[in-house]
Formats: sequence, structure tokens, C-alpha cells
Amino acid sequence: MTAVSAPAPAALEELVEGGRRLEPHAVGRLISLFQDRRTEAAASRQAVLKMLDERGRAHDAVVIGVTGTPGSGKSTLLGRVGAELLRADDKLTVAILAIDPSSPISGGALLGDRTRMRTTDDPRLFFRSEAADAELGGLSPSSFQVCRLLSRLFDCVIVETVGIGQSEGDIRHLADHVYLVVAPLGGDELQLMKAGIIEIPDSFVVNKCDEPAAKQTHRQLRATLWLARPDDGDQLPVFLTSAKTGEGIEALRDAFATQIAAGRVTDPGARDRYFFERWVKDEWGRAGLVHLHGPLGGASTLLGDDGDLDRASAAFNKSFQDMIGARA
Amino acid sequence: MSETTPQAHQLHDADGNVVHDKPWIIRTYSGHSSARASNELYRANLKAGQTGLSIAFDLATQCGYDSDDPIARPEVGKVGVPINSLDDFELLFDQIPIEQMNTSMTINSTAMWLLALYVALARERGIDTKQLNGTTQNDLIKEYLARGTYIFPPAESLRIIAEMYEFCLHEIPAWNASNICSYHLQEAAATPTQELAFALANAISLLDLLKERGRFSVEEFERFVGRISFLVNAGIRFIEEMCKMRAFSEMWEDITANRYGVKNPKFRRFRYGVQVNSLGLTEAQPENNAWRILIEALGVTLSRDARARAVQLPTWNEALSLPRPWDQQWALRLQQILAYETDLLEYPDLFDGSPVIASKVAQLRADAQREIDSIMDMGGVVPAIESGYMKSALVRSMSERVSAINTGEQIVVGLNKWTEGIPTPLLSGDDGGIFKVDDAAAHETIDNLERTRASRDPERAKNAIAALQAAARSGESMMEPSIECALARVTTGEWAGALREVFGEYRPATGVEGQQLGLEADRVDQLRSRVAQLADRIGHRPRIVVGKPGLDGHSNGAEVIAVSARHVGFDVVYAGIRLSPEEIVRSAVEEDADVIGASVLSGSHIELARQILAQLDSFGARDRIALVFGGIIPPDDIHTLEEMGVRRVFTPADYELIDIMEQIVDVIEAGAAEEAALSAR
Repeated sequence: MTAVSAPAPAALEELVEGGRRLEPHAVGRLISLFQDRRTEAAASRQAVLKMLDERGRAHDAVVIGVTGTPGSGKSTLLGRVGAELLRADDKLTVAILAIDPSSPISGGALLGDRTRMRTTDDPRLFFRSEAADAELGGLSPSSFQVCRLLSRLFDCVIVETVGIGQSEGDIRHLADHVYLVVAPLGGDELQLMKAGIIEIPDSFVVNKCDEPAAKQTHRQLRATLWLARPDDGDQLPVFLTSAKTGEGIEALRDAFATQIAAGRVTDPGARDRYFFERWVKDEWGRAGLVHLHGPLGGASTLLGDDGDLDRASAAFNKSFQDMIGARA
Repeated sequence: MSETTPQAHQLHDADGNVVHDKPWIIRTYSGHSSARASNELYRANLKAGQTGLSIAFDLATQCGYDSDDPIARPEVGKVGVPINSLDDFELLFDQIPIEQMNTSMTINSTAMWLLALYVALARERGIDTKQLNGTTQNDLIKEYLARGTYIFPPAESLRIIAEMYEFCLHEIPAWNASNICSYHLQEAAATPTQELAFALANAISLLDLLKERGRFSVEEFERFVGRISFLVNAGIRFIEEMCKMRAFSEMWEDITANRYGVKNPKFRRFRYGVQVNSLGLTEAQPENNAWRILIEALGVTLSRDARARAVQLPTWNEALSLPRPWDQQWALRLQQILAYETDLLEYPDLFDGSPVIASKVAQLRADAQREIDSIMDMGGVVPAIESGYMKSALVRSMSERVSAINTGEQIVVGLNKWTEGIPTPLLSGDDGGIFKVDDAAAHETIDNLERTRASRDPERAKNAIAALQAAARSGESMMEPSIECALARVTTGEWAGALREVFGEYRPATGVEGQQLGLEADRVDQLRSRVAQLADRIGHRPRIVVGKPGLDGHSNGAEVIAVSARHVGFDVVYAGIRLSPEEIVRSAVEEDADVIGASVLSGSHIELARQILAQLDSFGARDRIALVFGGIIPPDDIHTLEEMGVRRVFTPADYELIDIMEQIVDVIEAGAAEEAALSAR
């Protein structure tokens, strides 16, 4: 059987126009293009981004990262907050990208969040699952690419991940704001959060606050923040929410809405450099990084002004392979 | 043989006269199409010697939707009778003297509503409700675990059950407000130990709750314990099943006497009805099912001390479709022959003193007790449900069962052994041996519903709903407000909708994690590398959306498919149950899935396929996303579905999971080839 080729230009044009109208089928297909691992997909991605940028996108979407352990109820919570955001602003469009871990053995993944997330059939809320291609969660290698697309189509992109493993640094660089969702739990489990996970988020959510243990978890979280983040621990917002009773949902929605209105706060150049370096490390390891920072003069040189990851990757591959070839 | 000396093999009354036992209550589980059609069926069955009514409701009624609700529309009258209001109940029981009936209703999350309708019917007929006799199934625990027609969260569901017991104790003392079901757990592949443990833990949690609510005197509480009844399953391993029934009796005696201190032995009796096993019935060589059902019936009748009080048998063709009246009559005759022709009812217990039976019972008891203890350590059944513990245990048992059948370790005659045979003549009649619901029946039901809405006093209906919601919020009993709703011609969808607003809808743990599939390692490896190659060609791992459109909630089959697909390397979006065609297609479109796997067991596959394909068209995704179906689907319908555009149809005959996975990969490969050909042009 022949390989499936990339979409023809006319088909691509149609997809982009459908995507701009937020037609679910077009957005769904475009996301697949931005996840596509085949080399020929890069040219189509560049074409899509070019078309989108030329056709005057009015906004650059804010990316909000939401992490939390399985069972913290973050999917249900996000379903509620997403629906509330749409209700409060009848123009707003929101995309949710939910990332689940993959099986290390089969490579397959079970993406179950849809059963909890979908609370509205409004086309202004788009939901997509993505497999992390890693056992412990975190972002998928293509999450960054997908965000490049979605932030050109929607007003707000919410990225949901299981907050363990390597993901904290990734989400920090991908998102403008990071929330950590915890469910009421025992003191011992909270101790675990002191290392690593608690240093990244800008905001915290104690979910399922209708449960009796929530008060104590809230207190412990405050105490832990005071210890672990002496500089800003006191000022960090902690939301108490319950999807069951509806408590705190509006406050969290308002926080999201304020951040959406304020626009992007992270430096896109730094983000592009981080994910390019991450890609180099995934593909070529430490030797790749040495080559990037030495002979090639760092990530910025290859990324150029428009931060095109696909072009930079192609250039890097060529240079690195030439170098290996020259040595052999 | 002397007439005056009592003999050990005989039964005697108090005066020493030789007597026979009375037969158990003989029922067939039935209801279909419309209230009027079901009424005709019931009257025919009663005339044929049936001694009780067992009512099957359609899924819309079970899930609390009116027949004209879009999600209900394909299901109206399919697996049972649709009931929208008291007007339908009047039709259903027309010319049937309810004060003389033992009426069993298989109804759960809307049980309070159906009981309210029954009481309202009695009041309108001027019958004293103390004369009513019967059962509302009303066991929500097994709905969360196996059957799927829950609506409200566990705590609210238990409150409804408790309020029904509290109402019945005084108003309808002979009514079984609920029936603890282990039946459905075995249908979900529970082992005998799990069946014992989960059912008894369920009963303990209910009793604990009622004790805690404290609305009974000590004497009333004893009577209440005496009202707890069970619906048990009986599978093909009939000796073990008989031992399970004995273990149930002994353990219940122990629990009621020691945990609850019930003094009156009458209130400690383990009272149970039986519906024998359907899980083990095969689509292959379906005539063999007649023997299976007979053997299973023996398991629950042979031992006098553990004999069922009421028996319902499935029909031989249940794996093919809904039963026809003749199939039900044939099942009824089996019971009549067993009860009236044989000498079964002349003897005391045949197994007392058997060391073999005693040892087996002791082993089952010990294993079940361990499991009960661990559930109680978790805090009872509600935490064990919410954490997904019980569900995962059942899903694991199901995959072990499937695995044992796949490897041939468990023989199923006609399915994985002696599969060659002469085709059955039973399927060669004009109707193909299966039952088809008349589509016109749904129109009749919906016309009646519209008439009810138009002719009722709108003010009275509105006030009745407001009073129901007020009771739901305040914690007062919802039983009398529900009866007023019934009398005011409030509809099923309105009653459930009013409580949905107050209580919310429950979304359970799915149990898809942690399964063992026991697939052949070689074929899995081959398929995984095929999937990896496919992923390289199409640029992503193949994506499948698995879900259950419609109202039928038997989700275990869909879950096994979801887990198998991940196991061979798919990215699987498990979309859950009770989805509208629009929801399942929207999921597939947003996920840009390669294939939708839809599972339907309710008989609505044609309508649902039509709606799903139409939705794919409206999203412009018909060419992109393939549709495959699984479920209990008759051969003629398979052809119809394929002509409509369904790419593969899997039935219970396709029990080899790896075959199913290979065929789904075939479908995706074919789609990718088409797409490549298109874009090359």
C-alpha cells in the first residue's frame, strides 16, 4: 500500500477556511496535521500557518495550563469552567487539549476525559484528547505544535495534563498561566508535593471542597507554600471549588476570564527556543544540544523571526547529519 | 410402606400427614411495544397458567425520559413497555385485578415513580393499598456496576430506596421495596464469591443506612429486615450454584442474627427469586440454550432449603433478539413440567448431610466473607463504587472469562467446541425465529402522551412538580409528592427531570483500567507491528472512539473493546454510555478518529446507525470516519446495516477479541488506501 500523502493545496485551503469558522471537522483534521510525524507534513503545517497569519488573525490566544493528579477531578472541573466561560461571554471561543499517558508496552492510550468533560454542545468549545507517548504523563511531543495552531484559531487554549514526571517544565514554558488542581487528601500525600510540583504553578485549586477533608488540605497547602515558596507563597491564589455543588466555579471562571482579557504574558521567543531545544534533545540527545549551542550558535539562529519549528528542525537535521557524515 | 410412620424421605405437616410443597411463583419477564400490547400479553400469560406478573420496562422509562425525548425515541417499546403517565398504567393493567396479583417490576432509578403510579392506580380504583403485593427491583448498586440505568448519585439513590421502605412498611406491608440483585453481577461475569460478597455487602449498606436514619422502632426494624429480598442468578455450573444458594441462606442468617440482632426467625429467612443466566447463552447453535436453561433451573430448585421463591427463565433465542410470545410460552412450560410433572416437590432437602456439599458451601462462605470484610474496610459499598473498586473487579472477571473461552480452557459447546452442526430448523419460520417490534406501536405511545399532556390540569401538574422538588431539597419523603404527581398526570420525563435538577446526574468510574485480556501473544505482537506500520503511513496511531449510543447501559462489552484496542496500540477515546448520536459523532469529529465503534444491545441498532451516519454527513465526515457496530444483532439486520454503510458488524459469535481488532485494522487500512487513491488523482 502506498503512503497516504499530505493534503493537496486546494484541500488545505478548504481546511484552513473551515478551521477559521471553527467547524469541528476542519479543526479536528488540522490538529491531526500538527501531530503528524511524517516528514512531508512539515510543509503543509508551514502552509497552514502562513495562510492563517496572512488572513489577519485578530488575537493571539492565551494558553492556560492545568495540571493535577488523576482523581483530582480536573476534567469535570474544566468542563464546568469552560461552559461558564462561554455563558459569561457570548463571543468567546475556547479549545481544551487534554493529554493522557500512553501505555509503554503497546504505545496505545486510553483517553477517557471526554466522559467527564463535555457539558455543552456549543461549537465555541472544542475538545481534543492527545496521547502523551510517555508513561507518566506530561506533554506529548506534538502538544507545542498543536498549541501553535489552536492559539491562532481560538481565544483561549486550555492544556490539561497529569502533573507528574517531566511535565512541569514543559507546561511552564507552554502556558501563560499554570494551575495545579488537588483533591482533598491526607497529610502524607501532600508532603510529596513539596518537591518540584509545587514550585511551578501560579495558582492552586483545592477541588471537591464539599468533602470534609478539604479544609485541612487547604490549610496544609497554605503552610506548604509558605515553606516551599518563601518569596511569593503568601500571595499565590488558592481557589476552593466543587463541581458537585457549584461552589467556587464562578470565582475560577472570573480568574480565567481576567487572564484571557489580559492577553499573552510569556515571551513567545523563549517558548519557541525551549521546545526546539527539547525536540533536539529528544531526537539527538546531548550530542545534538552540544551541536546546537556550539557550531550552530543556539536555537534563535535556526528559529528565525517567525519561530518556525518545522523549518528549524529540518535545518538542524541536515546540519547534524552533515557533521556526522563528515566525521565518518 | 406404612401410612402412619413418618418416613425421612417424605414431607409432613404438623399432624403427620404426608404433604407436598407448593410450587414457586412462576413468571416470565415480559413487556414490549406499548401499554396496550403488553396488557394483551399479560392477560394471555395469566390464562396460560402463569402465577405472577413480571414487567419489563423500556429503556426510556428506566432512565426517566418521556417517549418523545430525542434520546429515547429509538428505544421506545424495544426491551419493554413504555410508561409515560398514569394513563399508560390504566391501559397496562386493564381488566387485571391488581389486588390479586404478585407484580414484579424490573425498575430501578425510577422505581419510586413506578411505585407511585401503582399506588395511584389503586387509589383511583378504590383498592386498599394494603392488599397490594409485589416488588420494585430498585437496586441501584448493581446499576452502577453492571446494568447502567442509574440517574442520580449513590447517596441520593440510597435515600430514595430508604424512603420507599419507610413508606411501604405502613402503607403496603407486603411490598418488597427493593430487591438486592446479584443477578446482574453474574451477567457481568461475577464469580460465585463476588456474587455472594457484593450482594450481601449491598444489603448490609442498605440496612446500616436505614438504621442510621432511625425512623423505625426496634420491632419495625425487624420487620423491615424481613422485607429484604434478593434476585439471584444461576449459571451452568449448577452444583456450585446450588451451593452458592445455600451459602447465601447461611450467611444471611448469620448477618441478620448477629449484626442486626433479629430475633424472629421468620425475618431472618433468605428470600430470593431467580432469573437464570443469560450471559452463557450462545448465538451459535441457539437450540442448545434450551438445555442450558433447564440445567440452570435445576440449580435453584433441587435443594429444598435453598429453593427460589420465584423463578423467571430466559428464552432459548435471547442472544439473537427479543423473545416472541411462543418462546416465552416454551420457557413457561419448562417450569410447569418441573413443578407439576416431576416428584421434585415431594421431598425434604436432598443434600442435607452431604459432606461434599457442606465443604463446598464452607469454602464459598469463607471466600465471600473475606471479600465482604475488605469492602466494609473501605467504608461500605458506596466508597467501593465511587473508587471504582467493585467495577474493576467485575471487569477483571469478565476479561478472565473471555480469555478462558478464547484459549479453550472453558468449553462452550457449539461456540469453541463441536462447532460444526446441522442448522437449526427453529430459525426457519416466516419470522426468522425472532421478534420484531412494530414501529407503529411507538406512534401510539407518543399520541397517548400528547393526549395526556393536553388534557391534564396544568396548574395541578405544576404544583405537584414544585412540591416534589421542595421535598427533594428539604429531605422530607418524596413518596407522597410522587403519588400526587402521578394523579396529576405528570409524565415520567418530568418526574425524573425535576429530581435531576435537584440531585444532578451521576457519572461513574468506568472500570476500563487494569484488565487482563489473555490474548494470544503471537497474534498481539503481529498486530502491534501492523498497527505501528499503519501509524507510520497515516501519520498517527490509529484512533478509535468507543461508545454506547442510546440508553442501554450494559457497558462491559464496550469497555473490553476499548481496552483491547489500546492493548494492540490504538489511541482509544472512550466516550462512555448514554450518548446521543450527535455526541458520539461530535467526539469522533473533534478527535479526528479513524473509526467509531458503537455498541448496542437494546435492539435499536438500525435506528441508531441511521442517525449516526446522518450526523457524520452533517459534519462532512462520512468519508473520513468509518463506523463499526457491535451488539446483539440478528443476521438479517447485519445485512441491512452493511448496506447502510456500516463497515463491520460484530455479534456475540465474534468472541475472539483479536479477530475483532484485526478486522478494525482492516477497515482503517482500507480507508487509508481510499484516501491515498483520492489525493493521488
